[in-house]
Amino acid sequence: MPPIIEISGLRKTYSRAFRQPHHALDGLDLEVAEGQVHGFLGPNGSGKTTTLRALLGLIRVDGGTMRIFGQTVPRQRPQVVGRIGAVVESPQFFKHHSGRLTLQLLAESAGVPKARVEEVLEQVGLRDAAKGAVRGYSLGMRQRLAVAQALLKQPRLLILDEPANGLDPAGIHHMRELLQWLAHSQGVTVVVSSHLLSEVQQLCDAMTIVSRGRRIVDGKVADIIAGHSGTSLSVRFPDAASLPEAVEALTTADATVTAAVDRERLVVQGAPEAAWVTRTLADAGIYLSELTTETKNLEMVFLELTGTAPVPGETVQIGGSVVPPAAAPVGAPAPVAVEAGSGEAEGAER
Amino acid sequence: MNLFKAELRRILRRRLSLIFGIVAVAGLLVLCTLVWFNSSTGPTESDLAEAQAQADELNRQYEDCLADEEFFESDEWLWVTDDPMSEDMSHTELCDMYIGNQQFTAADFLWVYTFDFSEEGVFMLIGVAIVAGLIMMMLSSSAIGAEWSSGGMSNLLVWHPNRMRVWGSKLAAASLVCAASVVGLLAVGFGLLYLTASVRGEVGTLDGPWWDENLAVLGRTAVLTLGMTVLGASLAMLGRHTAIAGGVIAGYLVVGDLLVQIAGGALKVPFPDRLSLYTWVMAWINGKIELYDWSATTSSSMPDIMVITSSEAGLLLGGVVLLFAVLATWSFQRRDVA
Repeated sequence: MPPIIEISGLRKTYSRAFRQPHHALDGLDLEVAEGQVHGFLGPNGSGKTTTLRALLGLIRVDGGTMRIFGQTVPRQRPQVVGRIGAVVESPQFFKHHSGRLTLQLLAESAGVPKARVEEVLEQVGLRDAAKGAVRGYSLGMRQRLAVAQALLKQPRLLILDEPANGLDPAGIHHMRELLQWLAHSQGVTVVVSSHLLSEVQQLCDAMTIVSRGRRIVDGKVADIIAGHSGTSLSVRFPDAASLPEAVEALTTADATVTAAVDRERLVVQGAPEAAWVTRTLADAGIYLSELTTETKNLEMVFLELTGTAPVPGETVQIGGSVVPPAAAPVGAPAPVAVEAGSGEAEGAER
Repeated sequence: MNLFKAELRRILRRRLSLIFGIVAVAGLLVLCTLVWFNSSTGPTESDLAEAQAQADELNRQYEDCLADEEFFESDEWLWVTDDPMSEDMSHTELCDMYIGNQQFTAADFLWVYTFDFSEEGVFMLIGVAIVAGLIMMMLSSSAIGAEWSSGGMSNLLVWHPNRMRVWGSKLAAASLVCAASVVGLLAVGFGLLYLTASVRGEVGTLDGPWWDENLAVLGRTAVLTLGMTVLGASLAMLGRHTAIAGGVIAGYLVVGDLLVQIAGGALKVPFPDRLSLYTWVMAWINGKIELYDWSATTSSSMPDIMVITSSEAGLLLGGVVLLFAVLATWSFQRRDVA
């Protein structure tokens, strides 16, 4: 089955007076399969919103191809627009219009039945607040209203930029369930751009991480995390004085193993297995008090992949993320390197 | 059609539309009320009696003066004898000069304004229409500007990718609201002023030529308000903000027009008034305007005359509106929606 969204070699450059042009998109590739919740992640300024705007025809691109439902956009966008619901960036509305009127005007403009307005208000939990003017809405309520308007058309593809922004915990939970229900029960393909990595980890089936306008990695969320968890072991000892001896013992036993002291523990990477560590240390007369396998979460993987992990005493600047390898020319397939270390992992670094 | 109807409803449901509507109707009512209370077909009995009493008092004073040779020796008039001008004057001449021999009547102490609908009504309606046009210009620029600043435009384009259709619908909706508002206000204003004239003034002669002339004037004024609406919307579309449209319009009308005229005068351009937009607007409304060039005039020669007809004014003003509308269309079609 072809992907719902196919983007290849997308480029967008902003010319700036007296300054170097800014390459917001630098050969970005993206594929989104049908019926999944797809996370679209990246540091600030990495090109996420630009990509979504380009996909929705709001901005022109300088190169690359985009296809939605197999149709080339923006040229054939009128043929697919009826199947797309979208919220791009923080939604704003006419403050003196009520939530219901806001939706009714959009519905009327596209010939959507009025009854659908009440359905989506119910779906996003705004039924009782629909009469009130939008100026009285909290950020979370506006977010719900924005999602409601994206749902009005009963879209087959839902594109949401930061849908959990401003939502309270109950709202986030509700939104997660709604989006998963749409994807898994209704077959709607959902693309979510978000910075809430724990939320993406819970919500999304697959994801694409971008940096500086290029794709770094894509695949199933669980596979990407597993593919980057490695074999990092944390080892503690009853006596911190044992740490240097332990480092010596492990690195002598296997030169490929790295062992680093981190405060009062030892972080071991490259060890064949946990049992090898206990055995090697015991053979050297060093007895450990704790050994745990470190499991990375999405945040750690994200920070590692994008090179935006905080360094003590330094601030990661906007645009200071890693520079992915140069993109393939437009139209040519990008080189794909499957992450080593996880035979079943589908996450692929680009 | 759906989009057009939605845009129409969006404009009508805006709070600013309600406020502007109330302001326009209130302004019209204030105008009619002022005319109502200032105009009258004649003095009331009490006004007449008061005026007659004033006239009688002055006439009696004159008679008293003639009858009393020592009139000017009373404390009240003693200053007259000190006046050097009165030295060689007879008593009668003094009475004529200082009291007045004018046989005052009540009419001399009455001021009556009678509103004549056939003479003044159309000028007032033109004013109403122009104010309505300014309001519509602000409303249309606000309708477009608010869409940009609220992010509503990008949201709308997600639903309706055809930008020309979106722009056309917005422009058509604003124009329809403008036309309906101006025609409605003119109709109400006509009715109220006619009523005022009927009760408190004179309607005058509303014959065929009157209708021909004034319907044409009001029609051209209504077209001008449509142009103002389109101009306001176009400037807001170009600047993507209400304030930019308002700033450009206010800046030109208040400062720009003056600067152009000053420059014209300094450069000794013949007929410097033709550089003012107001001149062309007046020519459009009135049907024509005559400009006089006094710069080369001598005591024995007449000034050169330049006539601007409504057709010429329509071409220029229409060209200005069209230029901005085309620029706005091009800009909306080409520029990214950030």
